[in-house]
Formats: sequence, C-alpha cells, structure tokens
Amino acid sequence: MNVLGISCHYHDAAACLVSDGAPVVAVQEERFNRKKNSSEFPIQAINHCVQDGGITFADIDAICFYEKPFLKFSRVIIDHLQAWPFSLNNFLQTMPHWLQDRLTLPLTLDKELGFKGKVFFIQHHLSHAAGSFLVSPFEEAAILTGDAVGEWATMTYGRGRGRDIKILKEIRYPNSLGLVYTAVTTYLGFAAHEGEGTVMALASCGKPRYLDKLREIVHVKADGSHILDGRFFGFNKGDRMYTPRFLKMFGEERKPGAKIDERHCDLAASLQKFTEETLLTITRHLQHETGLDKLCLGGGLFLNCVANSKILEQGPFKEIFIQPAAGDSGGALGAAVYTYNCLHNNPRSYVMRHAYLGTSYSDARIERILLNHNMVFKKFDDEGLSKFVAKKIAENKIIGWFQGRMEFGPRALGNRSILGNACNPGMKELLNAKVKHREPFRPYAPVVLEERAAEFFELSGSSPFMLLAPMVKSDKRPIIPGVVHVDGTARVQTVSQASNEKLWRLIKDFEGITGVPIIINTSFNLRGEPVVGSPEDAIACFKKSDMDFLVLGNLVLDKCDNCQA
Amino acid sequence: MDASGTKIELQPRVICQRCVLPESKPDIWLDEAGVCNICRDFDKQKDSYPQAKLLESDFVKILNQNKSAGKYDCLIMCSGGKDSTAALYYMKKRYKLNPLAFTFDHGFETEDALENVRNAVETLGVDFLLFKSDFMKEMFAEIARSDDKAVLCHPCSMWYMGLTFEMAARFDIPMIVAGWTKGQATHQPLMSRCGCNVHQAEFVSMSKSTQAFLDRYTKANQKYKDFPRSMEEVLATAKKRHKAMVVSPHWFLPIDASEYVEILKKELKWQFPRLSYPGLSTNCYLNFLSVHNSMKNFGYTHYHVEMSKMIRESLLSRQEALKLLEISFDHEVLRRVMEKLGLLERV
Repeated sequence: MNVLGISCHYHDAAACLVSDGAPVVAVQEERFNRKKNSSEFPIQAINHCVQDGGITFADIDAICFYEKPFLKFSRVIIDHLQAWPFSLNNFLQTMPHWLQDRLTLPLTLDKELGFKGKVFFIQHHLSHAAGSFLVSPFEEAAILTGDAVGEWATMTYGRGRGRDIKILKEIRYPNSLGLVYTAVTTYLGFAAHEGEGTVMALASCGKPRYLDKLREIVHVKADGSHILDGRFFGFNKGDRMYTPRFLKMFGEERKPGAKIDERHCDLAASLQKFTEETLLTITRHLQHETGLDKLCLGGGLFLNCVANSKILEQGPFKEIFIQPAAGDSGGALGAAVYTYNCLHNNPRSYVMRHAYLGTSYSDARIERILLNHNMVFKKFDDEGLSKFVAKKIAENKIIGWFQGRMEFGPRALGNRSILGNACNPGMKELLNAKVKHREPFRPYAPVVLEERAAEFFELSGSSPFMLLAPMVKSDKRPIIPGVVHVDGTARVQTVSQASNEKLWRLIKDFEGITGVPIIINTSFNLRGEPVVGSPEDAIACFKKSDMDFLVLGNLVLDKCDNCQA
Repeated sequence: MDASGTKIELQPRVICQRCVLPESKPDIWLDEAGVCNICRDFDKQKDSYPQAKLLESDFVKILNQNKSAGKYDCLIMCSGGKDSTAALYYMKKRYKLNPLAFTFDHGFETEDALENVRNAVETLGVDFLLFKSDFMKEMFAEIARSDDKAVLCHPCSMWYMGLTFEMAARFDIPMIVAGWTKGQATHQPLMSRCGCNVHQAEFVSMSKSTQAFLDRYTKANQKYKDFPRSMEEVLATAKKRHKAMVVSPHWFLPIDASEYVEILKKELKWQFPRLSYPGLSTNCYLNFLSVHNSMKNFGYTHYHVEMSKMIRESLLSRQEALKLLEISFDHEVLRRVMEKLGLLERV
C-alpha cells in the first residue's frame, strides 16, 4: 500500500511516501523551490516522492494531510471574531488563502495530480504523535507533542501501544508554550519559525532574571497545562504577537539586527528556563498518568535540543525518542504512517534509525554538472577521499560535504553538511567569517563517533538526529573548543557505521590524525537560505562563500582551483 | 559528393567552449571567451525569466485533460529508437493508457529500428500502424543531387508530422506522443499550441534553406504541389483541422536515457542499431546523408543543437556530446544511401 503524506500551507511544506509501512522518500519543498520554510503546496516534493519511490501517480492508494483544515478554520474564524476589529488586517490577508487553497485540498489534489482516491485528514497533533511514536523503537510509550498551534491543540499528552495512539489531554489555543516562545523570539528581533534556535543559543548567555515575570503572564498548573494572560499576548491583533502591556513589562522590543544587550540575553535565558521547567512539569505528570518509562516527542517545540536534554536528564522517563523532522515537515510522515498503521490496521514494521530519505545524485551526474559549470575537480576512491578530507579538516579547512540521500527535517546530519575542525578554538569565528555569517553567540555542533560519544559528553545513549544538547565533560572541553557552547553544552550528533558509513569513516580518519573522534557539522547553506538540495545548489553556495573545499560524492573541488569559475 | 568509401573529413570549425555549436555567422558567433551567443542568451533568460521546471504531475494533468472518447488514448510516433520506444513504454506501462503505435517508413528505415518497434508493440500488446511509402524519394534525391543547402530531415519531419496528425484525426485520438528529449523541447511543452522551434537562431539558416528549396521545388513539381513549405504550416493546418495535442513524456520525467535504455533492453528486447548517427541513437539511412550535408553546409547538425541544449541544462556533458557527435560513418555508407536514392551513377 502506498500512502502519500503531505504538509503545507503554513511553513515547512513536505511530502512523504510510505510504502507498506516504511517511509521510503520524504523531503521538504524548500529544498526544491529554494524558499526557506516554504509553505507552498509541495508539488516538487510530491513528484520526487513518486519517482524516487519507484511508483506512479496511479499507484498512490491514499493521500493524507497533516491536519484538519475545517477544524482549523473554525479556530481561525472564532479567533478573528474575538479580536475584531483589530484582526481585520490579518483577516483580509489570510482569507483568500483559506478559500483558494487551504479548504480545498481534494480539489487541489485532483487538479495537480489527477488524484481522485481517498484523502484522509489527520489532526495536526495526532500527526506529530504518530510521526514520533509509530516510527519509534518503542512498543509502548507516553507521547508528548507541542508546537505553536495545530487546529485548536497546542500541546497533547498521550500514550501509544502497538499501533494504537490515545490522546489523553490537550492544551488548546491560545494557551501555547510554542506561541510564547515564538512571541518572545520576535520580541527579541528574530524571525518567527526561524529564530527560535537562535534564542535558545542566546539563552546560555544570560541569567533567567525574568523568570518570575514569565510565570506571572503564563500560569502553569500542576499537570503542566498552562494559561496565557491574554492581556500580554495578541496572536491575531496586528503585526505583533505581544501587546503594549508586554512591552511595558519587558521594555522596548529589539529591532532586527540591533545590538544584543544583557536584557535580551536574560529574557532569552528566562524563556528557555521557563520552557524547560514547564516541560519537566508536564513530563512528570505524563509519566505519573501513564506509568510508562519511555517517551516519544513530536512537534516543533521539540526541536529545542536544550529542553530535550533537560527532559532526558531531569525528567522521569528512561528513554526518549524524537523524530528528526519534529516540526511540521514531519507531519507529512506522521499523517502517512498513521493512515497506514492506524486507519488501515497494518502492523508497525519500521523504526526510523536515520533521516536520509531525500534526493540523491550519482557521481556520474555530479560530474556532468561540474563539467557544465566549468568547475575544476579531482576524483577519489572512497578511502582516498576520506583520508584527504580528514587531513584538510585537521588543517582547519572548511569543507562542503554533499553525499548520498538528503536528510529529512531541518538538521543536516552529515549528507548536506559543512564540516570543520572541532579542535580549533577559532573555528567558530572562521566559519562565521567565511561561510555562515551567524550571530557570534551561536555555537556549532559536533558530530561524534557513536561508540566514543560517552567519553566526551554526558550522554548515555545516542543522539543520531542532533536533538539533544548534553554537557561536554569538563576535562574534554579544552580538546574540542570549537563546539562547546558558553554553558558547556554541545548540540551533539552521534554517528554509527551502520547509519552513515562515509561520515563515520571520515571521522575515524580524522581521529587517526588528531586523536579526536569529533568534527564540526553545520548545515550546508548560507544564512537565510534553505539547506542545499542539489549539486547546483551546493556549487552556488560554494561560489558565494569562502568555503575551502567542496566534496560532492567522491569529487573534490578546491576553492583555489575554482576562484574564477 | 565524394563517396569513395574513405573516412569522412570535414573542415574543423571553432566551437563554443561551453556547448558544441560552431561559429556560424550570422546566426551563431563566439565572444572573446569563446562562448556562443546561444549560451549567453540562455544564461540571460535563465536569470531574468526562470522557466518553471516541468514536472511529471504536469504531464499527468495533460493526460487527464485530454482523455479520449475513442479506442485509443494516444498515438505514439514510434521510430524504434530508445526515446520513442521509451515513450511507448511509459504510456502503456506507467500511465496505463491504450496507445496506438505509429511508425513511418519512407523506405530508408533500418531493419534494426523496425525490429525494435515490432518487439515493443508485441511485448506491450499495443496496436500498431506501419505507414510505408516512397512518395518522398524523388524529393530526397533532388536535395541530394543538387547543391541546395536544404536539410533532408526537414521535409521528412514535416511529412511525418502531417501524417501523424492525419492518423490522429482518422482514429479520433486527442493526443500525439513523441519521444523528443529535453534537448528537442520547445520553450513551451506543447508543440501544437506554440509552434515549433524554427525561429531559434540555431535553426534560422537551415530552415530558410529548406523553405527556399520547398518553395521552388514544390511549385515545379505537380506531385508535391500540396506539400507544406514549413513545419509551421503543418502545425497551423493541424491546429485548424485536427487539434491533437503533441507532447513528449521525456520533457517531464527526470529519468536519464541510460536508465530507460536498460528497462527497454530488459523488458522489450530493445537493442541499439549496428550503425547510426549520432552515437547511442537510432536513425534512418538518409540521416547519414543529411548529417554529412549539414556538417558541410553549416558546420553542425540539429543533433548539435539538441545536445547543446542538453549541455546547458546539465543533462549531458560537453565531453559526452562531443563523443556522441563524432562522425562514425564513412563514405561507403553514403554511397549506399546514394545508391538507394538512385543516384549512384553520379558517384
């Protein structure tokens, strides 16, 4: 049975093909249309899913959407009415989208794909829950989902057993921890749906001296459910997500690009702390309610790797599983596996052990593209490539690393990555100056051989999806200064030989040179752009930046040879 | 023409550093960097007016919009080459349609190509229409005999296209499917709606030569008085009378030829012909003469145009194209074609 899952219309549009229970292809639309966090109907992603999945459009048995549009529309209408007349502008802006696209998905599917079969609409948070639990290694687990808002729900508590998922409780709009995080992110001058990770990093630079104020405006109950004080937030009343009263409490908002001062750091720290303690309260309650020792997390809120680590370290659950595409892109996968396993009563047979579900390019095709771009390159065999690149990383060169199938989800996990030397204390500045141009307080992430992770990090298991930020062991911090954040944590990815042999081999060779089984891994993109999807994107990124080497498959381009290209 | 059985030597020309087109003024010229105006125009167009990538779903949309009320869903122009055989395969197997395969033999098709078609239609269980006629032989002979720069393949294509429209009308088929590659695509996907690509700079001189020949020759020969003067005329007539859509699946599918060749070999007993030009293609015997004359008269062929376009879109490397375009036949081949045209006495 072939089920196509789709998420779109808000942000992180994606498609996922599940064939006989296994996600065989999953990819975000932004990687094709080059619009970061694209919300557009994922037509290119769908085409790719069909073609790479080895099926035809006629072979699709069911299409499922990651939320229920009419239920969501009811919330939007009620919200507009409650905020009327202040919601007028938003109303005028959003209604055409609702009427043209959002409420007419079956028509769109018929028009765009000629699909006349069954279309299923899965509730937003159920998609997140399914996207985590049904592909987890757990037979039974508690489930927690959280993001800004789905239809009405902003967070759900649930439990999963076999192929059965039960939502035990939901927190409903406008009470949303995710929206609070996004509201403060925008207050701090960063973009919604993009800047939350930046705020998480900024948090480590401050003290949580506004924590009590946040507790005043968001009341958290004993079970972790929370109520926002509507006098401080206005999600539908204009350009801002916060009110003048919020500004009165926290002071003038920061304009994008303006200097970041102590107050901003402290508010970020307070927000992060508040989020962590609320999530800990919730997980304690959830564990108490379910009596289970395993937890599955889904939804954009759980891209917050610092909070995830706190849940793992300080929470009551022994094991947690977080889907790599925890945000809305992963909703496409969740809806598809829910349709297959739950709606069609098929047994679970798949565990998501890696995220390499996207596009891939053969060396022959890459070579053709390079030749047509007049690029100078050298070919290596696998062993030679690994040794060459490891040596260059040890020499503090910046490497664009484009290999195999692209990752599903926001994280580059070693196939569309920029790699660097974690042992170099100046590597962050070098990467920022030459390629990434990020805020200086943001750390770069390490990727470590899975079998060596426990030597360097306070991590008992693995972190294959870079969704945990454990402490770096204090005696190891001087060894890998390039990846240690100011608070001593690192957003670590562990890599095993089974999950990504080429990357594993490269780190092994790097270890052979330096004695350190860790390198820097950051996403292969420039600031504000989506992660590269194709060799052409990688070449463009290489040309626009001061990256030293670009490695596409087993073909290596040296910047020195390609300055004029 | 010298057809003594020796290797063909053609005057080398300076070719574009990026594609495989030679300088051929006034249509094609190279700049200081050695890059042709066609490549430069392509870059400008790409930056200023990026074309939406054609997707398979667009093709599916076209198929759905052109559903047949009759027996056949589409008429497939099937020459027995890899691209048209793949088109036939896709329509039957991938899109589950009921196609009618249509092959045109002007008397110069190779046995290898016809064998490929026969194998394909038999294996796929597709109805097959073979149209064989030597109606054009005199016109071909006249082009070969004279020093005219008319391109042999042009009137042949016009005739084949016109016949295909006639067949589509006769069997009430709403869609004609060809095996044209992305290098043979016009800017818009649907040929019958937008006209053909004769106005592209690369084709201007060739088209003018052919049109001038046809103007002169068809007026003087009663047999060919109704013969169209250009592909545009064929399409204009078709648009008025037949209204069939012409489309190629290859424009929409991101599948490399090497991939579908493997499928065809495995499933349809398809084979490359023993001799053809360019490399890895299946073309008729007349094509050798047409290529020879185009190279002599213009310094390039329509295959150079096609492959150059594919190079610009990174579907082929320049090195691959140069290898495929190497002249691999000799004068003996040309002699045999001339003999078939009844012109051997001139050699």
